[in-house]
Amino acid sequence: MTVSSAAITTQLGNEGLGQQPWWVQHWMELIHAYRFKKRLERAWEYARSGNVTSIRFEGRRVHARVQGSGEEPYKVKLWLDVLNDEDWGYVLDALTQKARWSAQLLAGVMPEDIERAFAASGKRLFPFKLQEVRSECTCPDKVNPCKHVSAVFYLMGDRFSEDPFVLFQLRGRTRAQLLADLAKRRQRAMARQVRQARDQPAEAAPVPHVHGAITDPSRWWRYDAALDPDLVVITPAMEGDTGLDQAGPLPLAEDARFPDANQRFLARVRSHGEAMAAQAMARAMDAPSRDGDAETS
Amino acid sequence: MSLLHATWLFPPEGAGGRLFLWADTWKVASPVEPALVAPDHPFALTPDELADWIDDNGYWTEALRPARATLTLPSRTQAARGRRSAAGSWSGLPLQAGEPIPKQLEWWPWQVEGWALDPAGAAEWLSSLPLASGHPEMGDDLRWWTHLQRWALSLIARGRWLPQIEADQGRWLPLLNREGDRHRLEELAMGIPQVATCALAAGLQGDPSLACRRPGSGRLRVASLLEALLDGQLRAGFGGDVEGLDPLLLAWQKGLGKGDGHLNLEAEDLERLTIATHHWREAVAGRVAPARTCLELFTPAEGEELWELRFGLQAEADPSLRVPAAVAWATGDHALQLGEVAVPQPSELLLEGLGRALTVFEPIERGLDSATPETMQLTPAEAFVLVRTAAAQLRDVGVGVVLPESLSGGLASRLGLAIKADLPERSRGFTLGESLTWEWEFMIGGVTLSLKDLERLRAKRSPLVQHKGVWIELRPSDERNAERFCATEPGLSLDDALRLTASEGDTFHRLPVHRFDPGPRLKGVLEQYHQQKAPDPLPAPPGFAGQLRPYQERGLGWLAFLHRFDQGACLADDMGLGKTIQLLAFLQHLKAEEELKRPVLLVAPTSVLTNWKREAAAFTPELTVREHYGPRRPSTEAALKKALKGVDLVLTSYGLLQRDSELLESTDWQGVVIDEAQAIKNPIAKQSMAARDLGRPLRSSKGGGSRFRIALTGTPVENRVSELWALMDFLNPRVLGDEPFFRQRYRLPIERYGDMASLRDLKARVGPFILRRLKTDRSIISDLPEKVELHEWVGLSPEQKTLYNRTVEQSLDAIARAPLGQKHGQVLALLTRLKQVCNHPALALGEDVQMATGNGAASAFVSRSAKLQRLEEILEEVIEAGDRALLFTQFAEWGHLLQAHLQHRWRQEVPFLYGNTSKGERQAMVDRFQEDPRGPQLFLLSLKAGGVGLNLTRASHVFHIDRWWNPAVENQATDRAYRIGQQKRVLVHKFITSGSVEERIDRMIKEKSKLAEDIVGSGEDWLGGLEVGQLRDLVALQEPE
Repeated sequence: MTVSSAAITTQLGNEGLGQQPWWVQHWMELIHAYRFKKRLERAWEYARSGNVTSIRFEGRRVHARVQGSGEEPYKVKLWLDVLNDEDWGYVLDALTQKARWSAQLLAGVMPEDIERAFAASGKRLFPFKLQEVRSECTCPDKVNPCKHVSAVFYLMGDRFSEDPFVLFQLRGRTRAQLLADLAKRRQRAMARQVRQARDQPAEAAPVPHVHGAITDPSRWWRYDAALDPDLVVITPAMEGDTGLDQAGPLPLAEDARFPDANQRFLARVRSHGEAMAAQAMARAMDAPSRDGDAETS
Repeated sequence: MSLLHATWLFPPEGAGGRLFLWADTWKVASPVEPALVAPDHPFALTPDELADWIDDNGYWTEALRPARATLTLPSRTQAARGRRSAAGSWSGLPLQAGEPIPKQLEWWPWQVEGWALDPAGAAEWLSSLPLASGHPEMGDDLRWWTHLQRWALSLIARGRWLPQIEADQGRWLPLLNREGDRHRLEELAMGIPQVATCALAAGLQGDPSLACRRPGSGRLRVASLLEALLDGQLRAGFGGDVEGLDPLLLAWQKGLGKGDGHLNLEAEDLERLTIATHHWREAVAGRVAPARTCLELFTPAEGEELWELRFGLQAEADPSLRVPAAVAWATGDHALQLGEVAVPQPSELLLEGLGRALTVFEPIERGLDSATPETMQLTPAEAFVLVRTAAAQLRDVGVGVVLPESLSGGLASRLGLAIKADLPERSRGFTLGESLTWEWEFMIGGVTLSLKDLERLRAKRSPLVQHKGVWIELRPSDERNAERFCATEPGLSLDDALRLTASEGDTFHRLPVHRFDPGPRLKGVLEQYHQQKAPDPLPAPPGFAGQLRPYQERGLGWLAFLHRFDQGACLADDMGLGKTIQLLAFLQHLKAEEELKRPVLLVAPTSVLTNWKREAAAFTPELTVREHYGPRRPSTEAALKKALKGVDLVLTSYGLLQRDSELLESTDWQGVVIDEAQAIKNPIAKQSMAARDLGRPLRSSKGGGSRFRIALTGTPVENRVSELWALMDFLNPRVLGDEPFFRQRYRLPIERYGDMASLRDLKARVGPFILRRLKTDRSIISDLPEKVELHEWVGLSPEQKTLYNRTVEQSLDAIARAPLGQKHGQVLALLTRLKQVCNHPALALGEDVQMATGNGAASAFVSRSAKLQRLEEILEEVIEAGDRALLFTQFAEWGHLLQAHLQHRWRQEVPFLYGNTSKGERQAMVDRFQEDPRGPQLFLLSLKAGGVGLNLTRASHVFHIDRWWNPAVENQATDRAYRIGQQKRVLVHKFITSGSVEERIDRMIKEKSKLAEDIVGSGEDWLGGLEVGQLRDLVALQEPE
């Protein structure tokens, strides 16, 4: 079997490569640029037949187990060069320059031009070549990367789509750390601006919050709102407009032993949701009417 | 009565919980001084009582489990009896819903036992409750819960959820990113009755420590309640087939099914799955926050091309509260105060929203190149995309969009009409079909344009165009609609004008009417019609023997106004405001204007016919009144015609309306008045149909046959949706359409779902035809005295009449023959017995309470006494209005009979305080009547035992069912309610059986000047000295002529 890019993508579900997030594509391109096609082909076989039994991100390293020809699985370790605090300082400085970068990171989107921020430190987020990905394997093979390591490379792409910010982690900062650092920096910059402006009025002390029910204890019991008019008639979703439709495919790396598991799972959730929607509408139609006044006549 | 509550029991940590049902009721309790643990709630129902209540009301489910909780409740500080409260200690009682809030208030934890439901059970149970208010024994909080569950159903129906992993458990989470859902969360969070979440989070058995739960700010708390209900429902029935799933998904699927959501996974796998699912969800919905990012679009400056888009933050609770991005950037790490809410980390919130906006509206990318962007520019094409499609998508991902008013997508930005109209110069007739003189222009976004303008603007081939300085969006359909409208050349009638000005957003030939300018003549009519300006008051007409109060003059003016338009009118003034007088004044007004040419038929319950006759004789002596009643009434058309010669007003009963319907319909009435119009509330009852038929114009009539229709009622008719249709069908048949339409359009939405929009629309439609003023409207009715006395004239039922006459004859004979020593006693016995007959034959005959009023005998019991019939009619209004009443009688036996009957009739407790009531019981009755928020509405008292010393100011009605010789005794009784502490007007109803000894007593009381001393001074002693002839005059029944 020859490794064409089309063949590789089948591993990532049945989606075409073009539909993968750009950072996954980027990773795949990195693999394809590797010279030793034969080795990749074997690695692909390995990955597809489920020989990689676990992949864990532990701090800045990736630990994996790959079942080789031996009895015990081989242990694979992967890591990237970590950016030091100074480098990160430059990256953070650069990231604060453009609101869009923070905005996207906060909204869970990996900015496409993130490398430009990293360029400020003279470093990169993504490795330029596969050789930059350091690796160790407990297999007797002397070649690095061996086929076990390469098999893990393949599956890493899937894992990046589960959580794109794993890359930051491999470079030394988790997404949460990064966002916290960014916030701190932004505030410092703001404070500087405010000091320079000087004409800003002093920050009003936050008013201590007293809940309305304390000043008006009748709110302990009172509720006189009418039913929201939009809830009077309960309507189904428009075609393709449910939360499931919008969330799209599950970004969960598939276990090669269970092809289509994601799709099966989602199909099950979807049909359950449809049944529940029908039931909910039936229930809503059956709403009991107000107890009639005792008939007197 | 007890009141049911529902409170969520949060688990000590994590999601989920249970819905805890409990109830409190009013009891006498001594103040509680808490020791180390939370005390038991002294007013709570026991679990058994509660279970009975739930079962009795048909809400029992097998899913209910016994539970106990510690609830934080506002509590009244009250020193324990016989003890001065020591410094540092507290004693008191928990407050109940509806109790007045005392000044000395603290919050204390109280332990309550009740029943609890798991989330799935709670969801199902809540779905079975009525959505509209109405059940008197369910707290408001239950309605809040039903609304929350309704929302959960809506989210499930729309698929607005995703399976997730939260706190290591499989959970179904609602997605609240849609505009409507976010708004709803704010509404429910702001409106939440605190009792819904006032339980201390604790183990399932409750934590009896003395800690309190603070009232919650709502948003997150309500979101978690919603989540629990939704999760509970979606969890049920999920699972089953596990084939082909890898271990992670397998564990997740199991965790999403029945059970506690536990995931059977290694920590690493769990974390991996958690991160992946969170990332999955992030693409759809953000977190629940008090504010959101908003984008505000501004039209280009004069001569410019580019549009401006400004960034900012907007409060979820009130989208009109906005701050520009600069403020958010400058806030630093403080919270930003937006109105009442504090927004933590405003710059993060703004950035996250911008990131989300970028996923659906790409042009924003350009605007985010600087560190703290505040604004950017859009090309016309981009602005159009924003207006047309992206705004909705942005709102769906939780980003607010504010568009210029002329483009905001509401009705105003659609092509509509601006209309100018007036009544024709020579119009006098005011008929609804009358054509108006009118002109119109097209209007869009607040500016007018002609068809030519429209064509010119379309030719620009740009969807956003500027016209008269305003940017508007033209849609392809607009021009089509405009052309079609021009082609029809419609006419505008007064009917149309009334409809278009009645409510916002009405359309005319499918185009919305944005502006309606009535000319001066039409304006006057419209204003009066819509009651924005009340019709001019009319003074009492000549020949009216009495005074009208100012509000009665307004009522008369209103009746005359609607009459001029040939519109039926429903005068629904509160009891005691003089509906009878206003109607009589109206008839006299017609008479004085020489407009009363044919007889008017008035239909009323038999019990008030006497009253009508009396009042008509007193106030409108010029009107010739005739009763169509009794066995000697005319039975043929000819006889009736003859009998009606020269008659102005004919009184008849509902019973005869049915029996003589053909006869009555054959007469050419000038108008039909129905009194106590609630009698026709049932649309398919025979008497309702007969009344409605009678309201229709006479088909065979020569003189047009149009009849004016007036309905009188004291019940808040506009609130009884189901009864409105029959009433309006009598008054103005076309206003509400036919019955099936009415049921679909109004009745079902309002009664089932409490739909306010439909209710508002309904009220706007019927509003012009219903005039209801309340005694409590001091601003409107400032001239009504604090105490109003009403004489209720009633007749006698046939049984009463026979019994009365027989008693008189037999007794007079006996008295004439009696020795002088016994005469006095016999006279007294006769008077007593006659008064008893006037109350009820069962009282006079000494019938057994059970036999007379027991099962199945209730309606027969009422029909035996005219007085009781009338009493019931008035009490119905009292109870309907939520008022409270004292009922005095001098006969203890009558009290027992009435108590049994009234309790059965209204299914509520009616206490009876009389001579044999013990001191402790008296105090308990009085306390309960005065204090219990859901206490009894009716309180029976014997005149002797209840007439003095008690303070019963919660009552605003006093009934004197039978008369006493001494008015001072009656007044003293009246003063139980009419005294210091009384906040409302007091209505005093005095029942008088006309023609009977009661009327004679009443007359004597009124003519007190002569007889008063004799009577008051000597009690009933003087009676013994009466001659038989005098006695006969006093007691014999005077038949009406």
